[in-house]
Amino acid sequence: MMINPVLLKELKVKMRNWKAVAIIGGYLFILAAVALFITLANSNDMYASTINPQLSIGAYTGIAVIQFILILFIAPALTSGAIAGERERQTLDLLLCTNLAPSAIVIGKLLASMSHILILIIASIPMFSIVFLYGGISALEIAQLFGFYIVTAIMAGSIGIFFSTYVKRTIAATVLTYALGIFMSFGTLLIAVFYIRIFYNFDYQSYLPLLYLNPLAGFSSLLTSQFGGQYGSIMNMIPGLYTINPYTYKGPAPWLINIYVNIGISVVMLFLASIKINPVRRSIFSFLKKK
Amino acid sequence: MLEIKNLHKRYGKTYAVSDLNLSIPEGEIFGFVGPNGAGKSTTMKIICGLLTATSGEVYVDGVDALRQNKKIKEKIGYMPDFFGVYDDLKVDEYLDFYASVYKIKEENKRKIIADLLELVDLSRKKDSYVDNLSRGMKQRLCLARSLIHNPKILILDEPASGLDPRARVEMKAILRNLKDMGKTILISSHILSELAEMCTSIGIIDNGKMVISGTVSEIMQQVYSKKLIQIKVNGKLEETVMILKEFPFIDKITTGENLIQAGFDGGDDDMSRVLSSLVTRAIPVATFAQLEGNLEDVFMKVTKGGEEK
Repeated sequence: MMINPVLLKELKVKMRNWKAVAIIGGYLFILAAVALFITLANSNDMYASTINPQLSIGAYTGIAVIQFILILFIAPALTSGAIAGERERQTLDLLLCTNLAPSAIVIGKLLASMSHILILIIASIPMFSIVFLYGGISALEIAQLFGFYIVTAIMAGSIGIFFSTYVKRTIAATVLTYALGIFMSFGTLLIAVFYIRIFYNFDYQSYLPLLYLNPLAGFSSLLTSQFGGQYGSIMNMIPGLYTINPYTYKGPAPWLINIYVNIGISVVMLFLASIKINPVRRSIFSFLKKK
Repeated sequence: MLEIKNLHKRYGKTYAVSDLNLSIPEGEIFGFVGPNGAGKSTTMKIICGLLTATSGEVYVDGVDALRQNKKIKEKIGYMPDFFGVYDDLKVDEYLDFYASVYKIKEENKRKIIADLLELVDLSRKKDSYVDNLSRGMKQRLCLARSLIHNPKILILDEPASGLDPRARVEMKAILRNLKDMGKTILISSHILSELAEMCTSIGIIDNGKMVISGTVSEIMQQVYSKKLIQIKVNGKLEETVMILKEFPFIDKITTGENLIQAGFDGGDDDMSRVLSSLVTRAIPVATFAQLEGNLEDVFMKVTKGGEEK
């Protein structure tokens, strides 16, 4: 089987670089610090010497949240310079004049960045062993969490690749990627609050579709569903804004829909990037010009 | 091997390339000459599928390059005027990467890379990091990269620019080797004397238009409709001028210190007659020669001073 040459080259170059070691080291240090802090804080509990699933859930939530935030920050940083960096280094033309398809260049770049995220996720597995020490979280739930991480990272990475293709400078691409990321994480939340306040006076008994774009909403939905609570607890932070009764709600879990939406966003972003990177692309409106 | 018909490339209202026609037979080295911004790089990028043409036709080895973009990439090796290299890749890894891109089989890769490094004289640098190579070495490596898939035609945009004299000589030697290997080469350069020496034919482009093209001698003939003769005498300058005026095929006589230049519109027999007439009449001729126009003169003449337009 032919492995994408861009992916192979990127892996070779990036893993040779000291930055890769620094990122993995820093990432694990932060996670370890959080895990230690939560464990120490909970160990003061009078029941700490006994089996206490509550301690496990606290540690799990802490590590999972920090890891999710780190992934949200790292994924765009890894991809937003992928194509723009090639352009700045004046190596893009050399790639484009080969018989490598534009989509192969884009996907190779994305996979190379995602492989870094995968390394970070795999490296963090020992941190989650703390959770198993106290019980309360199953292996399936951890698999769900890692799956959500990967899909979210691909979505964030695809947005980075998209801007990296459409904007010539890495810095501008990075800024735009983070701007869209912030809008998706907080902007949609703010819009949701205003929308529900204005049109429903905080009495909205469903999951606002706009929030399927929000990775934080999807993530909190995943965690709360794992703990058997109400879906989408991020919205419960704002009283009256959102509630779904888990016993009456029949639809699929919001985090699951969030995953599908993220996959859709990724496909669209990568498709647009592949079109843009092709120097001899034909305009979809070219038939109008001919007339 | 390469045929361009009525090629146009327009940016807004400005034409970067305008009605360009060009034909390069197999095995030729065609020198593409022109001032900065004349349209050389744009034409080369269009051939390589890195730019779309506004109109026109480009055929590479019979394949329509503008419509069958994927097919021609196998046939073309391109070396841009400015290019970068990847940090943290070694010389042989760099070539290995491009070999993978062109789907060259693993069992053939090692030999192809070794041969190419030998060709560009970088074998001893194969384990060096690309970033640590000198500019000349990077140019040679880029040339090796453009050859990795054994293309039929090479498009080299200013391959010798920014090189020191030694590196230029080395680059020239490699290009001669490639010519001997039967590659068709389209090369642009500002070093006109080198092009004249190396190329089977040249084309001068200005303002996006091909002003003149052909072999160097054909171009000289087109530009200088009359030959130029130069006579150096040890005295009797005025008498010499009087004698020259007797010949109907000689005009535009100018004189300097013991030096006469004149336009000459005759054949070799006429040249002999002039010389024997001077000698018979006891003119002390020191030298008698037909002047060869050089490519720089031609370039300046047909491009009207290049960028100063």
